[in-house]
Amino acid sequence: MDTKPDSSSDNNHYWHPIASSTDLTPRHVFHGQLLGRELAVWRADDGNVNVWENRCLHRGVRLSIGVNDGRELVCQYHGWRYANRTAGCTYIPAHPADSPARTICNNRYPVTEQYGLIWSAESALPATHNSASVPDIDPGFLNGSITAPVADGDLNTATIRALNTEREIDAGRLLVLRPIPVNATIDIVSTVLQSYGYIHPLSNTPVHCAVEARDTYRHTTQVTPLTANDCIASNANPPAELIQLHFIIQPVDSARSVIRGFMSGSSTIEHPTTWLQLHNAALSQLRIVAEQQMQAIIPPAAWEVSITPVSESLAKMPGISNAAATTQRVVVRAITDTAKDIKSVEMAAITGDLATWQPGSHIDVLLANGLTRQYSLTNGPGQTDHYNIGVKLEAESSGGSSFIHHSLKPGDVLTVSPPRNNFSLRRDAVKTLLIAGGIGITPLLSMAKALFHSDLPFELHYFVADNSHVAFKSCLDEFGKAANIVTGLDPTETNSRLQQLLAHYENAHHVYLCGPGPMLDSAKAIAEAHSWPDESVHFEYFKNATEVSQDKPFSVALARTGITLQVPAGETLLSVLRNNAVALPSSCEQGACGTCIVDVIDGTPLHQDVYLSNAEKKRGNCMMTCVSRALSDSLTLDI
Amino acid sequence: MITLYDYELSGNCYKIRLLLSMLEIEYSKHTVEFYPAADHKSEWFKAINPLGTLPVLVDRSHEPQNAGQRRPLQQKTEKPHNEQTADLNPIDGLTLKDSAAILVYLATRYDKTASWYPSSDPAKIAQITEWLAFADGITASASQARLAEGFFYNVDADACRARAHQLFRILDEHLWFAEHRKQRWLVAGDLPTIADLACFPYIILSEEGSISRQDYPAIRRWTDRVKRIPGFIVMPGVFPIGPELSS
Amino acid sequence: MLRVQIASTMAMTETTCKDPVIHNHWHAIAAIEDTGSHVHHTRLLGEDLTYQASTARDTSDSTGDHEFAVSRTAAPDKLLPVHCAYGYIWTCLGTPAQPLFTLPEYAESDRNNVCACSVGVRVSAPRAVENFLDMGHFPYVHTGILGEQPHTEVREYDVEITEDSNEVIATRCRFYQPQAAAGANEGMLVEYVYRVPHPYCSILYKSCPDDESRMDVIALFVQPVDEINIRAHALVSVIDATSAPLAIRMFQQTIFGQDKPILENQLPKKLPLDPRAETPIRADKSAVFYRRWLSRQGISYGVIPAAA
Ligand SMILES: N[C@@H](CCC(=O)N[C@@H](CS)C(=O)NCC(=O)O)C(=O)O
Ligand code: FES
Ligand SMILES: [Fe+2]
Repeated sequence: MDTKPDSSSDNNHYWHPIASSTDLTPRHVFHGQLLGRELAVWRADDGNVNVWENRCLHRGVRLSIGVNDGRELVCQYHGWRYANRTAGCTYIPAHPADSPARTICNNRYPVTEQYGLIWSAESALPATHNSASVPDIDPGFLNGSITAPVADGDLNTATIRALNTEREIDAGRLLVLRPIPVNATIDIVSTVLQSYGYIHPLSNTPVHCAVEARDTYRHTTQVTPLTANDCIASNANPPAELIQLHFIIQPVDSARSVIRGFMSGSSTIEHPTTWLQLHNAALSQLRIVAEQQMQAIIPPAAWEVSITPVSESLAKMPGISNAAATTQRVVVRAITDTAKDIKSVEMAAITGDLATWQPGSHIDVLLANGLTRQYSLTNGPGQTDHYNIGVKLEAESSGGSSFIHHSLKPGDVLTVSPPRNNFSLRRDAVKTLLIAGGIGITPLLSMAKALFHSDLPFELHYFVADNSHVAFKSCLDEFGKAANIVTGLDPTETNSRLQQLLAHYENAHHVYLCGPGPMLDSAKAIAEAHSWPDESVHFEYFKNATEVSQDKPFSVALARTGITLQVPAGETLLSVLRNNAVALPSSCEQGACGTCIVDVIDGTPLHQDVYLSNAEKKRGNCMMTCVSRALSDSLTLDI
Repeated sequence: MITLYDYELSGNCYKIRLLLSMLEIEYSKHTVEFYPAADHKSEWFKAINPLGTLPVLVDRSHEPQNAGQRRPLQQKTEKPHNEQTADLNPIDGLTLKDSAAILVYLATRYDKTASWYPSSDPAKIAQITEWLAFADGITASASQARLAEGFFYNVDADACRARAHQLFRILDEHLWFAEHRKQRWLVAGDLPTIADLACFPYIILSEEGSISRQDYPAIRRWTDRVKRIPGFIVMPGVFPIGPELSS
Repeated sequence: MLRVQIASTMAMTETTCKDPVIHNHWHAIAAIEDTGSHVHHTRLLGEDLTYQASTARDTSDSTGDHEFAVSRTAAPDKLLPVHCAYGYIWTCLGTPAQPLFTLPEYAESDRNNVCACSVGVRVSAPRAVENFLDMGHFPYVHTGILGEQPHTEVREYDVEITEDSNEVIATRCRFYQPQAAAGANEGMLVEYVYRVPHPYCSILYKSCPDDESRMDVIALFVQPVDEINIRAHALVSVIDATSAPLAIRMFQQTIFGQDKPILENQLPKKLPLDPRAETPIRADKSAVFYRRWLSRQGISYGVIPAAA
């Protein structure tokens, strides 16, 4: 076949095998190819199989030479990290302070695991792909799967479990054959396979398979599963058994194919090695014939594959991107008490996948009672099948935490924003200090998990009233000595402990602070006193405790829009902008999250946020439109 | 004191550097510029190795009369010498001129666990020897194709590639069935042997000779396992790997 | 959709170069010191060439440039233009449209000029140049030498295209390096300047460990064997009194040897000039300028031109 099978038809979700399940050993990246397109195929530690285009989005380097760290795939060229499942980029080492734009996401392909094989399809994964659609090979032919086991050390627990379950079922008696790559067109391979035969290992009689070629895939008649029935005469020794063989030819490229197969029958279980060797030898023989036939024809040109262009915005050297995107509905999977008055809430996608996040990210949760609340994700790297948040019951809660604590139950549906990150974790620190107070542990937990998994040096200091307030204890235990829980200190004692922790600044050390306002304020002051440079001190307030004044009116000139607006007392700059159709993204609207930032060209802002650092406030070239106002009579903004 | 006559981009020298690193043996390197200077064909080097090939290893802590007797590594007889005189008279010690011979020697002499070359197990050392010969076949094919592409050697690169693919098919099949028997290394056993190290370099460098390993998934998994042997080091052309999944 | 052949098995149909800019440029083909008076063979822009040191020197030629005879293997009697510069033999398959770029440092008397290596790489010439301009890969590809984790940050730098000489120039480039040169033995923030004076050549200047007022020079001269195969020639010109030429050559061979497998694993092999084919970040500013500069000159050889 010289031309690539036409995939322009609307149903281009037909499945092809691309690997054996046992090819995907833990922390390995399998180099696959389907219809000319190269694939990087890897199994994460949680068992999830990722089938991605074999090109790093950055500079096109093959991801099959990258590192599977169990949670993420790391490119060898510049160390970009891509998350399990979402394929979103989570870290760009050249710019350690930035969160990668959410749209930096690798091309993924559909995947399903069945009959001991990994299956994929040609079209890139649509956003709402449902991987439950199983290839229809031969319904009723097989019920289970016994794969050829590999060395113990190479099996992860997920696979072992799958194997055991399958053994218990013990119905299909399925043996996955060693795949045979053949340098020949799929037509030639398909033809030679018609004459498949072997000597039965037990009866020693030649078996000529009655090969029945069936065209399951309407679009690519060349991709032909072949079924062979091997009936031994009833007087044979051992007694009769029906052996079914099933071959599927994987169209690798125009002149390259892989014969994949599996067989069933009782003796396959009793003598797996014998059967595997037998078919391996027979197929290898057949390969010689196919490759000889290939010599006689002019080899077709390799199939062309298309490269999906990256989005327009990415092509222009993106920096930090927090552009608002559409919200998503999630289902509450579990709610657990993790400490006194703190619940841990796990949410999963209803359809498709969740968005990519990085340590420090938070989501807006739109609660059924109409409130929106922001919560940091506590997930560790690669945990991309759910969002996990920690919610503290606030005494003077206007209903957010109280709703979650008292009304929310597993199975409930919530609407959440895509994760945003105003608290990015640099991973180029020589050492990272994480200092949490109370529920401020949540973003730092996600950071600690990432640092711990990558073996980067860090210390986590977690200040709580007493042991009953320690949330996520079992996660903390995993960090061993790196995690230090500090209980029962009064504000003075807390201060002197912070003095100790922050006493010595060294080059390329970074500290991340999250906790109640007063604790953060004093930690920031102490850090400054000990000469920590602004860019080494990172913090996230839960909320803005500053008394925000709105009494002074001012005027604002919009340099790019070319209009001037009046901001009266009692109204925020953000709302005036909105009322005049100037769209600005916003989130917390209390000066804590940094979403509504704008650049200031002229005038002196009156900063009332807790997002900007002191140095940034002094520079006065940007401001938070939700709470900040003007000291001068007017401001000129770069919008 | 051990001296390795070494060229950084040579896979045959890399075999030795790997074992020296895995056995934590101290040594000094003497660089011989294989390309473009072809110093391995120079007079001074041919005085050390008349074959004019790399690597060469000189062990000056070797005492011929006690060859069978192991001596602790620390007791090396440190003789003051400069490299120039060492070049002129390297025979003052044991000089080995073939990567396989060097691997056998180092493993037998310095591996206290006797796992890299279990010399008391006849079947195993015979199997290892088979693989050492196989490795020479890889050198003659995959390595030659690499020299043709990277260093413009005038050889029939297509023929070398075809030969290398034949060998890789055999190896992939061997390793696939080894995995099926829960074996991880070329020679059955719990631990790797010098067979793995002898075969690894020119397999992992094969793509520099346009020999793709895409069709050899079992070989690709085995190269991952070799990279995770404690003491593994890279060379230019070899990518590092992440940690194993701890159980 | 960009339809691109990215398969490595791609048949090489295109043989000769139809790109007039590249066709009429000078290209390095071999180090002078490696070239003897016997016949040597190489390939340039898809054509086989023969070259050798001239035995009987034509004394009527006073330029001194014709110490080497280069010709197409298919037309041995028609000598091609030859220029000897910076330790290498340069030739041109067409008519040189402009003189070879200048590299004045090469002539400074206290410099150690070393032709460090010539290595074959299966990649297009522009991909190799772009890699040369890239600091972000140092900690990952040249680990322990030109970079080291966790020091991965690429600080802001400046790039411009000079009016007079039409070169891409990147300045104020800084990167943390554990062992910046053969003679260095501790980590430091190294300052770089990059020049791209030729579509297939780039020169870097880096702070010199021995003399703060001077800069070491490393030049990459890429010989386009064809669109997706190159020979990478390196010239190292250092003010380094201690490092022997052997150490300098081995250092450079190690660096090139580390880049080679990365370049050979880039898909597609030709450099895509469509900005949306790949994802640049701020650290790639010099590459972004380089791609635009190639586009503007209408270069088509070794690149995938942006759709008009
Ligand atoms: N059998 C020898 C072969 C070594 C060999 O081929 N070395 C290469 C360098 S990697 C060499 O020196 N080749 C030069 C030649 O064969 O002339 C060994 O394994 O040590
Ligand atoms: S090419 Fe993958 S990180 Fe740059
Ligand atoms: Fe490099």
